Amino acid sequence: MKAKNGKLFFRGVHIPDAKEFSKESPILPLETNEAAIPLKQHIGAAAEATVSAGDYVRRGQLIGRAAGKISANVHASVAGTVTEVGERDDGRGGSCVHVVITREGAEEAFLPPLDHPDGAQIAQRIEDAGIVGMGGAGFPAHVKARPNAPVDTLILNGAECEPYLTCDDRLMREQTERIVRGAQYLAIALNATRVIVAIEKNKPEAISLFEKTEFETVKLKKQYPMGSEKHLIYCCTGRKIPLGKLPSDVGVAVQNVATAHAVCEAVELGKPLIERVVTVSGGGADAPKNLLCAVGTPLSRLAEAVGINENAAKFVAGGPMTGTALTGANGVVTKTTSGFLLLTEKETNSETPTPCINCGKCADVCPMRLMPMHTAFYTAAGEYELADRYGGVRSCIECGTCSYICPARRPLAQMIKTAKANLGRKA
Amino acid sequence: MKPILSTAPHVKTRRTTKHIMLDVLIALLPATVAGIVYFGLAAAVTVAVALASAFLTEFVWYLVQNKFHRAPKETLKKFFAQFDFTSLITGLLLALCLPANLSAWYMPALGAIFAVGAVKMLFGGTGRNIVNPAIAGRVFLFISFSAMTAYPAANFGAIATNDWENLVAGATQLGNLFAGKPVLSPVDLFLGTGVAGCIGETCKLALIVGGIYLCARGVIKWYLPAIYILVTGLFAVALEGFDFTAFLPSVLSGGLILGAIFMATDYVTTPKSKLGNLIYFAILGLLTAGLRKATQIEVVSFCILLMNFAVFLIDLAIKARPFGFRKPVKRKQDKENRA
Repeated sequence: MKAKNGKLFFRGVHIPDAKEFSKESPILPLETNEAAIPLKQHIGAAAEATVSAGDYVRRGQLIGRAAGKISANVHASVAGTVTEVGERDDGRGGSCVHVVITREGAEEAFLPPLDHPDGAQIAQRIEDAGIVGMGGAGFPAHVKARPNAPVDTLILNGAECEPYLTCDDRLMREQTERIVRGAQYLAIALNATRVIVAIEKNKPEAISLFEKTEFETVKLKKQYPMGSEKHLIYCCTGRKIPLGKLPSDVGVAVQNVATAHAVCEAVELGKPLIERVVTVSGGGADAPKNLLCAVGTPLSRLAEAVGINENAAKFVAGGPMTGTALTGANGVVTKTTSGFLLLTEKETNSETPTPCINCGKCADVCPMRLMPMHTAFYTAAGEYELADRYGGVRSCIECGTCSYICPARRPLAQMIKTAKANLGRKA
Repeated sequence: MKPILSTAPHVKTRRTTKHIMLDVLIALLPATVAGIVYFGLAAAVTVAVALASAFLTEFVWYLVQNKFHRAPKETLKKFFAQFDFTSLITGLLLALCLPANLSAWYMPALGAIFAVGAVKMLFGGTGRNIVNPAIAGRVFLFISFSAMTAYPAANFGAIATNDWENLVAGATQLGNLFAGKPVLSPVDLFLGTGVAGCIGETCKLALIVGGIYLCARGVIKWYLPAIYILVTGLFAVALEGFDFTAFLPSVLSGGLILGAIFMATDYVTTPKSKLGNLIYFAILGLLTAGLRKATQIEVVSFCILLMNFAVFLIDLAIKARPFGFRKPVKRKQDKENRA
């Protein structure tokens, strides 16, 4: 269907999108000889290991079983021998149990493909395949596929509003058919009658491809954070999620295009979520690329594939606005690693904070209409309740827009996260 | 090299405080040039003295605070790394709202030292001052020196009134307006030709050019000074018994335009929220028109000073209403619980 323009929301920022680095490079598979697969790659409880050192596992075999309702299965991404099951530094400042597999051969152990499945079967398959939201947060997709309230609209999130990242863009251009079929399966599972594909205007090729499908296509203004669930729903349908409620409360479910692709593969091929597209980009990379990586591929392998130059000063897993800074090219690709960025010092603009000049730019750009400067002020004093009363800490979506725009370089988003953590502890 | 570690976001805008402050200085240039052209050497000396003493005050303050005797070269480097042009803005703004009076050359120096030293640095430097330093400096001089009440007229272009004596010795154009003396035409008021007043406030054209630059660069929001000016004009009209001929003279005379564009919009001393700013500028307009009528003198700087103290109250009264906010529905049960 012909694409129509999405609604606007009156805040947010325009960030130079820096997508030209990797926009035109097609998705290339990347081989790895060793995979260290973390058992916690999602929001919720970590999976429990079902294999131990010395076992032989096939590609796609279950190696970690979901523990609890909000959790997800983990599967072997390469075939080979398990050499270690134990705690490892994840390079993001924490540690969790990793299953380390050395590759030998290419035996596969996928689930049986489903033919014309019904809704319950699809939801069960999503759970079995360990699919999580692939946009970055990593919320288990099977929980979203079984909503508490009736859902009439499914929105496919192809906004990709973060700068640098092009993995969703490439996937939409190369795997349009699979994304469409994955969305159809999701719509069956949700019993949704309307499917909307939402894409930002800086991806005209993807928009023209989706215009040829039977789905509604919405062209969104290039504005950060357009891909935020609340704002995406407002811009596509005009519905506002009340504070503290979920998208299903307004009858909408949002899934990333990469998640829809994974659902299609899980249903038609029986393939669990064991690989994903990662954008390796930034001024510190010699030849930025979009790579199809097995989950557990060491990030140093990705850095090797694109070539690091001496300007790389900051390593980021995920997008530049919400990702995590790494202690170097350490850590591995997880289900939610949409990007691996090698940023130069000039790109990051990280300078020492100067005093707040009360310019109000953070409040001007906050997509949630909060007052980050109040939050920062009261958080610095340890008054977290006041920070919430005047700044609205609890409604923050942690998009980082306030820190981006601050002319005094104050770490506002960090302050809000601190206040949030302390409020949570108290409650 | 050790990788940089920080929390998200990992990219930031290039625009920093220094860029914003530099933009304000650039926006003040047309008014400064117009002032020097109109008032000649006296204006140039006033501006230079104020700028130099404002800068030196901050410099000396920094040296005293940072024990300069240890490593003078390094201290100098550090000073310029953290110097953000705010004291230069203070000095320039102060000079622009003083009369061009060569015999009182020490006045701008005293004012700048008071403004930067006592009003800004004593409270913690940039971003910590409670009132606008330039305005505090001007008010300090106003209540200390009688020279502040005599304004020379801009000796440039045709002087529309032959009442030269009155212009030189008397109050600003506003005083003439209240005293029922002949008033200059709006065009003269707009260009500042023949108008008695402070260095920077006479040429409204130059001020508005600077204001448009600030709006275009996103430093200030156009509607805030506009609200201030409009409310002042309309309330003055209302006070004169809805005599609309009073609108242009009251808007174009005195320091209203300078105050509205450059002084009242100072980030540090305005409320944080949008709604708070709208309230702040509207009250400012009412106060200015009302006090002008009541006191018969120019009160823009006093009004801004007064409202600066009210900023904190406005900030506390306004709460954030996040996206998706709904007014809590009062249910019967809640009422019963409370009772």
